[in-house]
This record gives sequence, C-alpha cells and structure tokens, in this order.
Amino acid sequence: MIRIQRRQTTPRWLLVAVPALSLVAAFAAAALVLLVAGKDPIATYQRIFDRAFFAPGALTSTLVTATPLLLTGLAAAAAFRMRLWNIGGEGQLYLGAIGASGVGIALQHQPAPILIGGMIAGGLVAGAAWAIIPGLLRAYLNTNEIITTLMLNYVAGLLLLYLIFDSQSYWRDLSTFTARQFPQGKVLADAATWPAFDLQVAIVPFGFVLGILAAIALWLVYRSTVFGFQVRVLGDSRAAARYAGIKSRRVIVAMMALSGALAGLGGASEIGDFRHVLDPRGLQQAGLGYAGIVVAALARYNPLAVPVVAVLIGGLANAGYSLQGPDFPAGLVGVLQGTILFFALGGELLVRYRITFGSSRALVAPART
Amino acid sequence: MNEVTAGQVPAVAMRSITKRFPGVLANDAVDFEASQGEVHALLGENGAGKSTLASILTGLYRPDSGQIAIDGRRVEFHSPKDAMAAGVSMVHQHFRLAASLTVSDNIVLGDRRAGWLRTSARTIDTTVEELAKRYRMPVDPRARIWQLSVGEQQRVEILKALYRGARILILDEPTSLLTPQEADDLFVTLRRMTDEGRTVVFVSHKLDELMAVSDRVTVLRGGRSIGTVVTRESSPAELARMMIGREVMFAQTKKAQDLSRAKVVLELLGVNANGDLGIRALNGVSLSVRDGEIVGVAGVSGNGQRQLAEVISGTRPRTSGDVLLAGQKLRNADAEEAIEKGVAHVPEDRMGTGVAPSLSIADNLILKSHKRPPISRLGILRRGLALANARDLMKRFAVAAPDPETPTRLLSGGNVQKVVLARELSSQPVMIVAANPTRGLDVGATESVRALLIEAASRGVGILLISEDLDEILVLADRIAVIYEGRIVGVIPRAGADVQHIGLMMAGSS
Amino acid sequence: MNVNDSIVVVLAASAIFYGTPLVFAAVGELLAERSGVLNLGVEGMMLIGAVTAFWSVQNLSGADWFVLLLATGIGGLAALAVSLIHAVLAVGLRANQIVSGLALTIFAGATGLSSYVGNVARLGGQPAKHEFTALNVFGLQDVPVAGPILFHQNALVYASWVLVVLALVYLYRTRTGLHLRAVGESPETADVMGVNVARYRYAHTLVGGFLAGVGGAYFSLAITPNWIDGMTSGAGWIAIALVIFAFWRPELTLVGAYLFGLFSSLGFVLQARQVHLPPEVFASLPYVMTVVVLVVVSTGWAKQRLGAPAALGTPYVREER
Repeated sequence: MIRIQRRQTTPRWLLVAVPALSLVAAFAAAALVLLVAGKDPIATYQRIFDRAFFAPGALTSTLVTATPLLLTGLAAAAAFRMRLWNIGGEGQLYLGAIGASGVGIALQHQPAPILIGGMIAGGLVAGAAWAIIPGLLRAYLNTNEIITTLMLNYVAGLLLLYLIFDSQSYWRDLSTFTARQFPQGKVLADAATWPAFDLQVAIVPFGFVLGILAAIALWLVYRSTVFGFQVRVLGDSRAAARYAGIKSRRVIVAMMALSGALAGLGGASEIGDFRHVLDPRGLQQAGLGYAGIVVAALARYNPLAVPVVAVLIGGLANAGYSLQGPDFPAGLVGVLQGTILFFALGGELLVRYRITFGSSRALVAPART
Repeated sequence: MNEVTAGQVPAVAMRSITKRFPGVLANDAVDFEASQGEVHALLGENGAGKSTLASILTGLYRPDSGQIAIDGRRVEFHSPKDAMAAGVSMVHQHFRLAASLTVSDNIVLGDRRAGWLRTSARTIDTTVEELAKRYRMPVDPRARIWQLSVGEQQRVEILKALYRGARILILDEPTSLLTPQEADDLFVTLRRMTDEGRTVVFVSHKLDELMAVSDRVTVLRGGRSIGTVVTRESSPAELARMMIGREVMFAQTKKAQDLSRAKVVLELLGVNANGDLGIRALNGVSLSVRDGEIVGVAGVSGNGQRQLAEVISGTRPRTSGDVLLAGQKLRNADAEEAIEKGVAHVPEDRMGTGVAPSLSIADNLILKSHKRPPISRLGILRRGLALANARDLMKRFAVAAPDPETPTRLLSGGNVQKVVLARELSSQPVMIVAANPTRGLDVGATESVRALLIEAASRGVGILLISEDLDEILVLADRIAVIYEGRIVGVIPRAGADVQHIGLMMAGSS
Repeated sequence: MNVNDSIVVVLAASAIFYGTPLVFAAVGELLAERSGVLNLGVEGMMLIGAVTAFWSVQNLSGADWFVLLLATGIGGLAALAVSLIHAVLAVGLRANQIVSGLALTIFAGATGLSSYVGNVARLGGQPAKHEFTALNVFGLQDVPVAGPILFHQNALVYASWVLVVLALVYLYRTRTGLHLRAVGESPETADVMGVNVARYRYAHTLVGGFLAGVGGAYFSLAITPNWIDGMTSGAGWIAIALVIFAFWRPELTLVGAYLFGLFSSLGFVLQARQVHLPPEVFASLPYVMTVVVLVVVSTGWAKQRLGAPAALGTPYVREER
C-alpha cells in the first residue's frame, strides 16, 4: 500500500528538479492532447515558442503581456507566501487603473515626470486601499480573505462599468457627440504615456522595469527589513510569531496593502504603458489578476522567480493570441497553462512528502505516553 | 466494590506488550489484566506508558510485540473499528465529537446497522434518550455539541460507546476537564456499568479518585508494569511510592540553596487564566521566584503548566491576578513588553512555538531581538551583524550545524533546544521560564541544557523550571512547587524533601 | 393592464429563470464544501458543461426531450471528468486547494478547454437545434401572479427544485448525509468512527462537478440557446459566494440564487421602465451582502450556529499508526 509521509529534509536537487520535470511532464501531456486532436505537437510547440520569443517583434509583444502579469504575480506571491490568500489582485488592478487614469486626467497639463509619477502613486494608493478592506476584516474580525477579496473583484468590475458606461463621471469622455453616444473613457494626454526602452532585441515597457525593481525590492524587504522578517516568521508559524511578540494583525494589514499596491501598479501600467484610456471591457477580459496567481504559484512565491515565470506565461499567452485562428484555436493557451499548473501542484507533493510503497506496518508516530 | 471471582476468564488480557517510538520505549513488555465487572485503574506519571497502553488496547496503535485477548479470545486490532467490533471503546481525554452536529448525530455516526434513510430520526432520538436515562446521564439528543458543558460532552462520548454495545470501556484521564460534581456523577455512572458486568479501565494520575472508584490498580513506571494491587488493601502512600520511587543518578546537580533573602524577581498573585477551550486552567496561582533561585514546578502533564508559562511570558491573557517583574506589574497578555523587560521563555513545544522551523538558525536567534538595535536600525535588519551574532552563539552553545543559514527544522531536537536557549540566555534576561526543557533530548543534550540553567542561576537569573520530569526538579531546584488542577498545592525546599510527599501532592492527595 | 405584465411578476419570474443555473452550481459546490473540499473551479466546470451540452444538442438526434436530457447529462459528466483533476490534486495529493481550483478554472474556462472545444467544433454562431422552453404546467401559466412565476418555467427550473429537496433529504435525513456532515466538520472524528474521509471527499467533489456542468448546460440550452466563449460570465464565482450566503444550507441557496437572478435581470427591466438608478448599484449588492454575511458568520457567536464546515479547505492526513 502507498504511504505518504512528510519529509524531514528536502534534498536540494529535488527543489530544482521537480519544477523542471513538472514543466516537461506538462508539455508532454499537452502534446498527447494535441495528438488526439490531430495536430502535430512538435510543430505546434515550435510555432508557440517562435511567436512567443523569437519572431521579429515577438519578444516585445511578450513583454507587453508579461508586464501586468509580473506585477500581479508579485502581488500574489507576496501575500500567498504569508498564507494570506489574496485573490483580489484583479479588483486591485482595476482600482489601480482607475486611480492612475484619474490622476492622469487631473494632471494632464503637467510635464511628463510629474504626470507619470502621479499616475504611479495613484495606482499604488488605489490598489492598496482596495486591499486594506479585506485585510482589516481578516486581521481584526477573522473573516476569510478568499471570499472577501473575490467579492471585491466583482464590485471593482462593476465600478469600472459604472464609471464609463452608466454615469457622467470624471473618467468619461463627454467632449464629442459620438463619445456621449458610445461611452468611452477620456484618452490621456501624450505626456501621460509611459516611456519604453529600446534594447534592440526588444522594447521594454516602463511598467516592466518597475516590476523588476519591485521584485528586487521585495526580495530585499524579505532579506533585510524588520517587516520582511516578521512576514517570514508569520508565514512560517503563527505560534512562533505570537511568541516572538510580533503584532500579527498589523503585519497582515500591511501585507495586504503592499499586495494591493503592487496589483494597483499593474493597473496603472496597463493605462500608462498600453491603453492610455480606462477600458473596462478590455481590462476585464484579460483576467490579469487571476493570471498573476498562476504566475506566483509557479514561481513558488519567490519574488526573483516571478519575472522569469511572468515572461514565460506571457510568452505563452502572447503566442496564443497571435496564432489564434482555425488552425490554433483560442483555448489552447489556457489548456497549456492549466496543465503546467496541475503538474506543478502535483510535483509539490513530491517535494513536501515522501511516498513509499510497502506493507502496512506500524511506523513513525508522535510520542504519546 | 465488586469481588473479583478467581478462575474467571479476564475480560482484558494484555501480555508482554512492547511499543517503541523514535527515541523512547513507551511500553516495555507490559502485562495487564482486567476482569469483568471491575473498575481497573492504570496509574502512572507522564512517560510511564499508560496512555500508550490504552491506545493499543483501543486499536489506535499496534504493538511491536505482545498479545491481546478479549474474553479469552486472541485478537489483533488494525484500527479503532476492529476494537469497537470486539466491544472495546475508548473515551479520549480530548473528545472526538463534531461540534455542530447534534448529540444523536454524533452517537450514531458510522453505525452501519441504522437504516439508509433516517426517517427514523425520532426513533434514534428516543433510543438515545432511553439509553441516557438507563445510565442516569441526562442529555438532550437534539442539542448541538457546542451547546453542552464539558461534562455533558463526556456523557455523549460514553453513550457513543454504550450505543455500540461496548463491554470494555477505557477512559483516558476522564476527570481532567470536569468539575468535582461532574466527576462524582461520572463515578456513579461507571458503577452502574460495571454492575452490568462491563469492564472499565480508568487511566489516571489522580490518587484520591482512584482510591474512591477503582477495584484494582496497576501502576506503570518508565514503560514497565510495577505491580497490581487491590485498592481496598492499599493506600495512597503505597501507590505514590510505586508511581514515583526511583534512584536518581545525574551528574548535573545544583546544591539546594536557601535564597530567602535574595530579591524577588518574579511574583504571581492570585493569577487565574483559561485554557484553549475556555475552561479554567489556572486557579488563583501565587508563586514567587528570587534572583539566582531555581523554583521547580512539579506536576503531571495537563494540570496547567503550559498555561502558567504562557501567562508569565505574555502569550496568554490572565482573567485576573497580577504578574510582577522586579516589583513592577506586567501588562496583561503583552508578549512584547515581557520580552523587553527581560522575561525569557523556553517553551515546551520547541518546534511549534519556540522557533520558526523553515527559517535559518541565524533568523531564529534574532527572533525576539529583531526589532531593536543593534540588530535593526530604522526598520532595516543588519544581516551581517545577525550572522556574526549567530556564529558567536553557535560556538558558545555548541550548536552542531553546518552554518547559520541552515533551516532550523533540519536540526536534531537537542540542537534546536540549544538554539532556543542560546537566544533566550543571550538576551540578558532577569528571569527565565523553562517548560520541559529537556523533554525528548538524549543524555548529552540534557546535561548541557541543565548546565546552562545552573550557570544562569549562578549569575543571579531567577528561573522557573516547569517540568513533568520529577528527576530533573529533584536535581536542579532550590524550592519545589507542585501544581495540581491549576493550583499550587504546596511549596517546599528541596533540601530534605520527601519524594513520596511530593508524589502525593502531584496526584492530588495530601 | 394584466397583473401578469406588472413589473413585480415579471421580475419574479425572471429572477427564477436567471437564478436557476446558480442553484445547480451552488448545491454542487455546497456538497463538495460540506465534505471539506473548496473548489474554486466552478466557473471552468460550468463552461465545460455549457460547451459539451451544446455540442450534444447539435450532433445528437432524437426526440426533443430525449436529446435535451442526454445533452444535459453529457454536460454534467464532462464537468465531472474535469473536476476529477481537482479531486485528485486536493484530496489525493493534498495540494493547495485554492491554487488547484484556480488552475482548474484557467484550464477549463473561457481561455481554456471549453473555448478550445467550442472553436474546434465550430460551435459559435449557430442557434441550438433543441432548447429548453418554458412549459405550461398543469395548464396554469396564465393564472394571476402565480402563473408566470411558478407554472411557466422550463424543465430545468423544476428539476432544480427537486434537486434542492433531494439535497435537503440527503443531508439531514440519510445516514450518508450525516457522515458527510461529520467529514466536513471533523474528519478525525469521522475517521475514528469508521467513515472513509477520502472517499466522501472524492465523491462529493465529483458530484459538485456534475451539478456545475448541469448549471453550465442551462446557459447554452435555456438562457441563450447558442454557444459563446465564456458565456457564464462569472456565474461560477457567484455560485461559490452563494454557498456562503446560504450558510451551506440547500434551501437557502434557492433564496440566494433568485436574489442574484433578480439583480441580473433588474438592470434590463429598470431601463425599460426609465428608472435611472445605475444598474451597477443593484448588481453589486449581492457581493457586498456576501461580505457582510461572511463577517457575521466569522464572529464567534455565529460561527457555531451558522458556520462553515470546520475542516473546509484543509487536507486531512491521518496520524500514522
């Protein structure tokens, strides 16, 4: 019979081998699916990787897709590492977009640095504020954050719709007759367009750079700040945190705010880097907040791994969009992503537990006398 | 009291039962026998092996060797279900009940005899009610478990066993959570059950109860069976002697001192506190510790020791009473203040509470000092300093590990404890609360831990040593306090202390 | 004006009509959660149900009622098959249930398998060959007030009522239902009493999947009898919230589902009547209410009386023997 026992120690090679093997296994499984559907898996994969990274302009497109994933991925990684299940990245991103575009409209006559700086601040603050609500409920009333953050995603989505479609709000473009008939948001000034960096091999959006900086900053926070230390302790053992005199409730609220701010920055980047207008439908269709959770899970919540995973997943998604057609149905992307995640989750088991096969004999048990 | 008829096949016969867990031989070729219609007590202090034996009888564990026979028939239990089928049921110390379900639900849970469709819910309620009435254990079948008092919940557990026709009922420390009145009611119920020919095995460390309710007592010590006596023909003193009596042979001892003229560093005045389930765990505890003194708190596990340590270290709120440190009142449930004012705490659950297991040794060494200079300034942690600090402490306290960045959970129990002690002692405390500091450690580690405590005391630190290992207290303490059911039932100087007397106090009878 | 055209009656009838898929999905999720398994993949499973049921309807032939029955069943089974992945991961491999459920939604949802199948089979843009239409029960469809509301709904609506009754009987009046409640409340207790915790969790997760699939089929066969990518638009997530809103009780899922259904249709109806309150206000009410309910449920007082199965979301590992 199969016996599952928690491992005492995890060999280092396993920590690297398992995610890598999961990836391989996932691609193999997806290849099977493709074969069944009558497609050539090798050719399909070649096309995917080509469109994701190697074709002219591919890497740039991939970075466009990867940028918000990087930020929402960091948001999820930061919270999930502390076992704070913030599923509200989606809503926090929307709020960030609202905040950033609001500031962008208000400061539209200001020079670019002030404008962009303001948009960043707007995104950070709005996202943080949206996340603090469930954070407070969790910290002080012990309310399950999975559901509260999820519900607020919907409210945020509705808020987006309201601002553009069902109100005469500040965000709405009411300047022309057409705009009044077909609701849309105010387009931001040119100065509000975030810079991009041409590196020959690809054009890197400002948001991506901010994301890299945020990843490094998060890593440093964990390593070298009191707050980061407390987060690590709390994520490992609540009892030890209490024993050490750590004020757990404050840490929870602070972490939610941080997570929300990162997702909000993702929203600001969507506006500043790519859309330049508050576009509810586009934002909602992209599902960037939820995708960020996938990125975070695959990166095993390590901030330095998030950018890499974000680029990989972004590449996959990007390839999916650009290859879309009768030959390459939309949906293959999700299937691949999901499969990779399943195998990664299954692989987790091997990392955490040891599986033995043998007869049912009395084995290790906690000492009780 | 029932007469035990000679020549009858015993209801329970356990022969040469041996059970080993990593690092400890819990049962060493134990023989145990209980007759039909008797209340047979299993007596022993912690580590004696009585709970393990009971768990084996009820099918939770499988013995490494030995045999069990029920009513003369050889049996082998692979699970509690097998035991239940053979008529053996256990009422655990920590109830196995589903809180939001009703009494009836809990009682019939898992019963395959009941019909698939429970339109007979009312019939079940009636059956339960009748059963309860027969044993005079009134309980409302439709009440939800969380609505019941602890005594009532225990009745449900007993009814669960009776409903399944249990002939042999094992009770593990049944009165630990009951009021005296509830305990008396329980004893009446037990008598009723044995009058019907059932057998009750009563696991406990409380002498006065055993004397009152049992027919025979089997005493376990150190995993072995010391002997079985007929209760009527024995005395508390004899039982205590059997339970405790031993030779003490340890190298690290502290010369018992009279420090009554030293300054009082810790004082508890009438402290009351509740346990995790909301039941009173500490009852008007008053205690003092002086500079340089080791006060040992002896007692059997589950009498409030953990809660005592937590109240002092500020991780558990008091419901009333004061804790004074060097004459100043400490705020209630403020662990941060206690740490800052110099209270060190070596918790009994070192892996679960004392360290954050996935974090490195270096991190765990600054677990409490991370907020203050020199380790941190303006919110920034000075890692270099933390690592240097770790290397220094690891050398001084001989922590065996490759480097300070090793995750703490990879260390042996002894080394984890050294990390905890290194941290607590290096913080220049004025007072240390150490709870079971050498539990689960090998001889070498035990000696080093004790040496460290003695050395701290010699530097003037006051130590409250809470230990379920009486040997340890007998070699280290200057004064010995005994805790029983959340009260301090006696404080005596170690010099000239009568071990038997201590044993009696630990067992609630003095 | 006929009272049956009044806003109240119309709203009530639409509330039931639009709320029905939520009833199926919520009762399914409720059963899974009662066993202690949180399945966040409901949205994905509903979409799988929608697409497979639609495919069946387009490609199977036979009498109307037969094809519809078969299609609904196929939709349920397809979703059940997909939910098996989550069951294996969460129960068998003790993986993180939150991530696993989300992975399921991504795998099966609007950018995943359901979209893939729909596009490969070229199901978009066709009207359904068979659809669930409103029935005239006992010929009472024109009775004042009760007629349109109770006697003029489609077969799946009535099936959902039967489902709720069955779920109630199952949970509170059968031995298996009792075991289920024990497993979700205290798996250690159930285990000691001889109940196979893993088996109950697997079984009820799969049943939850099946019912989510049926709920999804409702979308493609009753609400909009065609297939669109991502047509459930978040109904799966609402169903999850609904379970909490209903305090894990089947009869209350009806109330909650119809409330949500009401808010879905309120927007259109109000616009038609020139009422100028932004529809988003109403639409957001259910979500806000769920948060309020959750806060209440989490406090100590309510926790025992109304609360979640205590072991929800935590893997059960039996102590070694």
